[in-house]
Amino acid sequence: MLSNEIITADVINAATPKTKIEVKNLNFYYGESKALKDITLSLPERSVTAFIGPSGCGKSTLLRVFNRIYELYPKQRADGEVLLDGTNILDRSQDLNLLRTKIGMVFQKPTPFPMSIYENIAFGIRLYEKLTKAEMDERVEQALKRAALWTEVKDKLDASGTSLSGGQQQRLCIARTVAVKPEVILLDEPCSALDPLSTARIEELIDELQADYTIVIVTHNMQQAARVSAQTAFMYLGELIEFDKTEKIFTAPSEKRTQDYITGRFG
Amino acid sequence: MAEHTVTSFDDDLAHISRLVGAMADLAGTMVGDATRALIESDTGLAQRVVSDDVVMDARQRELDNRAITLIAKRQPMADDLRAVVGAIRMAGDLERIGDLAKNIAKRVGAVGQGSMSRDLSHSIDAMAQLVLIQVKGVVEEYSAGDTAALARLRNDDERIDVKYTSVFRELLTYMMEDPRNITACTHLLFCAKNLERIGDHVTNIAENAYYVLTGEQLPAARPKTDETAMPAPAA
Repeated sequence: MLSNEIITADVINAATPKTKIEVKNLNFYYGESKALKDITLSLPERSVTAFIGPSGCGKSTLLRVFNRIYELYPKQRADGEVLLDGTNILDRSQDLNLLRTKIGMVFQKPTPFPMSIYENIAFGIRLYEKLTKAEMDERVEQALKRAALWTEVKDKLDASGTSLSGGQQQRLCIARTVAVKPEVILLDEPCSALDPLSTARIEELIDELQADYTIVIVTHNMQQAARVSAQTAFMYLGELIEFDKTEKIFTAPSEKRTQDYITGRFG
Repeated sequence: MAEHTVTSFDDDLAHISRLVGAMADLAGTMVGDATRALIESDTGLAQRVVSDDVVMDARQRELDNRAITLIAKRQPMADDLRAVVGAIRMAGDLERIGDLAKNIAKRVGAVGQGSMSRDLSHSIDAMAQLVLIQVKGVVEEYSAGDTAALARLRNDDERIDVKYTSVFRELLTYMMEDPRNITACTHLLFCAKNLERIGDHVTNIAENAYYVLTGEQLPAARPKTDETAMPAPAA
């Protein structure tokens, strides 16, 4: 009986995964060189998707397209479509500030602002919302709790964000991202500079956040991809080689190149 | 398959693969020896099967240790992961085959006491040969990576089951004919059951090997006929 119910639930979940981000025939150029070649994939809502692949394969580039952060640099351009809830975010009419409140990003190296822990969180919120002191206090506390950092910093909110340990700084950056209530969180190798315990805390956090957010993580750590994500994309030389359920990718991938990469046989 | 960037990973995997091969060879030898000891009432050979089982157990422990160390050290993925987990499972089945062969060997003395034992033992000789072909075949097909042959081999277990049913009925008839046969026939029934169980373990190994090689499970349904649970034909 029980197993029947589980199967039914699985079938229902599998049948109705709402697409949050849909990438269609995306190409990306750094000047003359093409870094992404005709990428097409769909990222389901409230779920963790991992991008893996060797250095230079384009996975971070793809992540950077999702919030158009590449536009900060000259000679970088994208063509194709990236639909967020059906709206093409590559469209020129797209309000970039609005886009970046919807799609938050956390980088490889923790990047706290050189200001207090409290202000690190409040700064982003103030750009978009007018809150009373009490409301702001509440939001800061919520964000820090969400990032599992509250108990460690609640007595020193005035201390500088840069005084925290690396793992704490990274959680502060996640708190800062969560504070502006985004819909999608992009994580670009968020744990590569962290010790195993801090890494475990971030992974625990990712597990919790996926109930409310669509999460995309780029990681060089295969076990991490296997642990935290529901689906995994393997990229190589700017191409999407394989995109499938994570358990399939790591136990029985369809493509030989995926297999060679994840088993450590590459090149 | 290309080599790993870390070459000692290949060495570790190769060693585990060799241990599975060694256990499979030993299992084949034990089943063959146990059957021959039974057919020929050779208690010396039976004794050797019993002592071989100690070696079998030691090899399984070594394989388990190495496989667990490899998982801890290398965190294998995809086909590597399947190979290691598959090796642990196959070692379990091979160890059980060794136990069952040992159990057959232990009964050689008891069966041999009856005057008609040789005739009676003969009835399971054919069954034993079928089992032996399966035990040896499964390792060969796995080494050769022949997935179609493994799928066939799994289904061939049906022949052993059919044979077991007929041996069961035959032994039952002997017992009905002459109650003095009961002791020997009862032991032979256990031997036949052990052989049938060995066939089942070979089936497991074939399924496992198929998964290791392809990443896909064989369909669950397999022909299965064990009619010994049915009422005996009216005497």
